[in-house]
Amino acid sequence: MAYKPQFGPGSSTIAENRRKQMDPSKKLEKVRDISDEDIVLIMGHKAPGAAYPTMHPPLAEQQEPDCPIRKMVVPIEGAKHGDRIRFIQFADSMYNAPCQPYQRSYVAAYRYRGVDPGTLSGRQIVECRERDLEKLAKELVATELFDPARTGVRGSTVHGHSLRLDEDGMMFDMMQRRILDKKSGVVKYVKNQNSEPLDKEVKVGKPMDEKWLKAHTTIFHSLVGVPFRSDQEYIDYVQRVHSLRTKYGFCPEE
Amino acid sequence: MTDAKYPQVRIVTERLLNPDTVERVMNLIVATGGVRRVILNGPRIPGVVTVGPAKGSPNPHAMRKPIKIGEQKVLLEVHVGTIVLELESRDFIPAIKEACENGFTRFSFYIQEGRYMKTEPSLVDYAKYGPDADKNIIGLSEPGKSGPIILQGTK
Repeated sequence: MAYKPQFGPGSSTIAENRRKQMDPSKKLEKVRDISDEDIVLIMGHKAPGAAYPTMHPPLAEQQEPDCPIRKMVVPIEGAKHGDRIRFIQFADSMYNAPCQPYQRSYVAAYRYRGVDPGTLSGRQIVECRERDLEKLAKELVATELFDPARTGVRGSTVHGHSLRLDEDGMMFDMMQRRILDKKSGVVKYVKNQNSEPLDKEVKVGKPMDEKWLKAHTTIFHSLVGVPFRSDQEYIDYVQRVHSLRTKYGFCPEE
Repeated sequence: MTDAKYPQVRIVTERLLNPDTVERVMNLIVATGGVRRVILNGPRIPGVVTVGPAKGSPNPHAMRKPIKIGEQKVLLEVHVGTIVLELESRDFIPAIKEACENGFTRFSFYIQEGRYMKTEPSLVDYAKYGPDADKNIIGLSEPGKSGPIILQGTK
């Protein structure tokens, strides 16, 4: 019987949203438009339109050793061209942000090839060859995985995940890379993810409303969202994992 | 250092506060006349970028700006989320609560009484300040930073 991934336990909307985001057969809902130029500006690895710097010659030009694995694995476009490896990093507020650091790593691992996702405390990084990174970063920012107010693209100084929100509903950012335009209600990036000022503001749309966030979030929160304790199936699963790994620590003979 | 005979209160808000809200609320609180010492606490906002490729460049931030409390100018270096007060007596707590109710109109807050300032210097304080430190400021400000600010003419 072919393996069919279940993606995760749970009967709450949170669990359902997690499964939906992780499942590559389900299309992520597109929420906003963002141009190729804008995503390059936000990431700040190179000037928009500039050629991709390389770290090795294209694979077609270099002598590859006779290796069965290399013949089996089809390289991604960036690897074929010898692109540099670059990153995009997100910080997500625990106040009903649509995606969360651990969830993001699962999403990246299930949905994309040739990526190196990594979760740290309150932030998540995806590393990839540059031209492939631009494509996936665009998808991560333009779809339901992103909210202009509760999610931040931050290369460093990421503090904000577990803090209270600002008065205008934005997540705390020590470097204030993005600001909420009070007149238009649109969030715009004024610095790239490395806190370098941008020559041109990058608009990423209006913050989503509370109702949408609550319906699309993937984090449990007992005060502003769905409490973890309300999802008995999830609790049972976590307790089962905890129980089994503890018993395994004692090396049971059965 | 603090003396146990003075009561302390902590005001925690639902949201991190904009500088103009801090200014409005602090002026209402200071006007009660019973405040001995204040700590405005919250995540720090550095004046320059501290890490990454932009390290050392200025960090323009709307929440890092000077406010006026009474007649005294105070540069906010944190995004205020908690206000800790030491009061002359417990009689001022209702007035402080009323000031907060008038000041915070768009979101909730709570006010607690307890011990929130240092009572004894720690080993770290000894390392930072040395043996002859001014005990009134231990736990309130960092050496090498701007230091405590005295609000004149509040009584």
